[in-house]
Amino acid sequence: MALEDYKADMERCSQCSYCKWIPFDQVKSWRFAKGCPSIAYSNFLSYSARGRFAVALSLLNGQSTYTDRVVDIVYKCVTCGSCDVADKICRYNLEPLEMIHELRFRLVEDGQLLPEHTAVIEHLRKENNMMMKSGAERGDWAKGLDVKHIPGESAEVLFHAGCRFSYDEELRETARTAVTLLRDAGVDVGIMGKEESCCGGRTYDMGYKEDFTRLAENNIKAWNAAGVKTIVTSCADCFHAFLRLYPPLGAKFEVLHTVQFLDRLIKEGKIKFTKTVPLRITYHDPCHLGRQGEPYVPWKGKEKKVKNQIVVYEPRKPRYNGAWGVYEPPRDVLKSIPGLELVEMERIREYAWCCGAGGGAREAYPDFSNWTATERLEEAKSTGAEAIVSACPWCERNLIDAVSAAGDKMKVFDVAELVRQAI
Amino acid sequence: MTLSREVYKELEDIVNPENISEDPAVLDCYRYPLSHTAIHIGPYYRVYTPRGEAVLLPGSAEEVQAIVKLCNKYKIRFKASSTFWSAWGYPCEDNTIQLDMRRMDKILELDEKNMFAVVEPHVIEATLQAEAMKVGLNTHIHGPGASCSCLASATALGGLGPDTAYMGHHNENLLGVEWVMPDGEILRVGSVGSGLGWFCCDGPGPSLKGLVRGMVGTNGAMGVFTKCALKLYPWPGPATLPVEGRPPAYKAVLPDNIKSYTLGFPTWKAWADSCYGIWEAGIGYVAHRQFSMFGRDLKGAMVKILSDPTKTLSDIKELLEDPEIKKMTEDMRRDYQIVLAGMTPRDIEWQEKALDLILEKTGGWKVQGMLEPDRHNWSLLYMLRLGHKNLNLVYGGGYDGCFGLGGTPDFGTSEEPERVEQVTAFKCEWEKKGNIVASGGDAMMGGIGGMGGGGMTMWENFTHFDPHNKASTEGTMEFFDAATDYGVKKGWGPGMEKMNAYARGRDGRSTAKEIRDRILEASAQPEAFRYQRKIKETFNPNDLGDAYYRTLD
Repeated sequence: MALEDYKADMERCSQCSYCKWIPFDQVKSWRFAKGCPSIAYSNFLSYSARGRFAVALSLLNGQSTYTDRVVDIVYKCVTCGSCDVADKICRYNLEPLEMIHELRFRLVEDGQLLPEHTAVIEHLRKENNMMMKSGAERGDWAKGLDVKHIPGESAEVLFHAGCRFSYDEELRETARTAVTLLRDAGVDVGIMGKEESCCGGRTYDMGYKEDFTRLAENNIKAWNAAGVKTIVTSCADCFHAFLRLYPPLGAKFEVLHTVQFLDRLIKEGKIKFTKTVPLRITYHDPCHLGRQGEPYVPWKGKEKKVKNQIVVYEPRKPRYNGAWGVYEPPRDVLKSIPGLELVEMERIREYAWCCGAGGGAREAYPDFSNWTATERLEEAKSTGAEAIVSACPWCERNLIDAVSAAGDKMKVFDVAELVRQAI
Repeated sequence: MTLSREVYKELEDIVNPENISEDPAVLDCYRYPLSHTAIHIGPYYRVYTPRGEAVLLPGSAEEVQAIVKLCNKYKIRFKASSTFWSAWGYPCEDNTIQLDMRRMDKILELDEKNMFAVVEPHVIEATLQAEAMKVGLNTHIHGPGASCSCLASATALGGLGPDTAYMGHHNENLLGVEWVMPDGEILRVGSVGSGLGWFCCDGPGPSLKGLVRGMVGTNGAMGVFTKCALKLYPWPGPATLPVEGRPPAYKAVLPDNIKSYTLGFPTWKAWADSCYGIWEAGIGYVAHRQFSMFGRDLKGAMVKILSDPTKTLSDIKELLEDPEIKKMTEDMRRDYQIVLAGMTPRDIEWQEKALDLILEKTGGWKVQGMLEPDRHNWSLLYMLRLGHKNLNLVYGGGYDGCFGLGGTPDFGTSEEPERVEQVTAFKCEWEKKGNIVASGGDAMMGGIGGMGGGGMTMWENFTHFDPHNKASTEGTMEFFDAATDYGVKKGWGPGMEKMNAYARGRDGRSTAKEIRDRILEASAQPEAFRYQRKIKETFNPNDLGDAYYRTLD
């Protein structure tokens, strides 16, 4: 698809403003009713999905040209997909999140880049990671871990650590824990260590489609060569990339997030808890595991009309609106841990507020990114929870940084870490 | 014209640089497509409202006041809008700046004991309702739904909606206003103007409610409203709506004292008699002909699609052949939705009995297909929160209402054949041309209680089209012109499709004065607009609004 292919969406957007809020049925208070961090932070209509439709149309029609403001509008978005869920409460023929990605692809093609992104991408091209670190150090997170290394050894399940868990020393214990839990439960699991490469998901969200495709194709080739059948990851961004972005490029792997695997192992009795974890927690749904974590359904078709002017698709088009994301497995895991008390925030599941780390915002707009995380922290605190738990290292890093910046005492955990504490 | 650097700098100094922009792409986000929804003119294919000179995000009444004074100094027009639902809130002419009231979004006060709330412009219906419910209260939600500004509805427009029979119009609920007048002075209307609080818009203190609102509201053309107080109503349900289900098929399972019914009737006469019956009995919390907006032939299928998260619009043809859906659709042919809310167990028991008696007398029925639990709970949530109102646009992205019948229930039913059936037959003929959705002619949506306590019904015959498609958009325009001619020949007058033709023309700008005057002169009460002319001369001497405020020389 090209940006021009979304012109119908741009002209069919009714400017209803649903994209700015969580679905209205789910509004429980004034304080936590907003859904889109971008417009909540920047205020002009342009910083909403509705506004980006209008900006894109204005550019396509030649009514405006690239300016610093336009570049800011396009990139100051966490690509969290909240707008997509809210829009699709009433619409079956608009794809705001897809359009936002296409708009970014176009800006990258046209050389309208952010220097902060450029630096990350240039480094990625050399070192295969998004963390501005040496590629040679990628496997250091697993030092001393008794686990198979692919491709030298073979394993049924490949655990993909991802860039953040590989390099973030404060968080990497979570990846080690996940591998250990799987291994101890009898799973034939392996890692690629320093041979592992970035998933490309964040590259895609930043607008660098060619770089994403190169990374994805390389990963698919390597996994096929190693005979990998199942990929497990503790990173929601990687999960989303493997689940939703890789299949159109030919990937045919089973993709699971660690929380899904742990949930399965707990329900099968292969993980048994022996300790109590007395903690009141709340769970933060990562956007790429939750609303963007719906199963991929292949589709190739075209628009057609029935009853004169009702816009439908032939054949029936899959509908991604957050309805079938990964919501229950992390909750079921947490509820099964003795002593844990799970209290929900107001914005959860498909209408969860983003942590602020996505879409390149953490890299290019640290103030905006931190503000978004701080908003989430405030919501978590309103539940009375002592800790906020998530299932993505990017969420956890952004929330930890927000806690630190605010001088707060809220603890931040990964689901796997709490499982480990209970064993 | 572009604002001079001097003026821009002065505006920037008022709101700070981060709250003003004149970037062309930003300004194009503040243009409304006239190929679209509920603007009651057109639709005109690929025509947009004019680009403003700048957009500003004021953060306080004082900032608004400073902007307005500056506009008077330099003779610059200004147009304020909060939630931008339709073309009313956008500039009509060049040399206009757009005020986006988004930063003024606080619920300033929620007085549980005295049952009112004080809100800023960007407080929306959903958030005010959510906060009110926490203390056992509720707010009227006007027709455009939960996404829209409460203040705009109460001060600048009509403000009626599905719960009007119980909770009135928003303008009726207006208990006080803070108004930055067109010349930049701030006036607090009603008791608040005397420092006595926000309990009454008609005094003690300056009682200018009628003047502030004009005939149907100022439509953003007479100054800027920066705060208002709204009356709240009892809510006998839980503090938070217990919502469950997958999107978009959210549902609320509420206690037994709150029920939603879709009522069907054998004839339009029976339909009208039931309206009188419910008003006479004083029952009903929400009453609206809602799902008819999808069209007489399609509403059953649409209810199924919307209440089942596995369905999409692509399923519509298959669902139209489903015997259960066919039966439900037929049962809903002459219908409306009603929500009963009992304040006590005895109250709901009495309301249920009264409703059953009304149905017995009129030969009506509760549509069984809509009592299926998922559909009931979906419908209940829909009607209470109005969080799905933009389903108006679900088919192709565009809709507008035509005919716009309003009056006692008999107005639509008393002629032979019934007026509603005449309109249906007329629209069905146009559906055959292929430019508008073939929905069965009758897609008439509107209030069963179009005023507090009942007394009138309002219908707007939805016409759905594709604004991306030139033939569809222009074909809809042809249909609307024909609908106007039909209404005039029948003696009904122009319908809702031309409601704003006096204000904005086919180029998206102010209607030419001679055309505007002709339209207003032909209205039922032209003297009202002459009176409004005097008001405008007094309060808006530099004429910095637009023609949405109706005046005649």
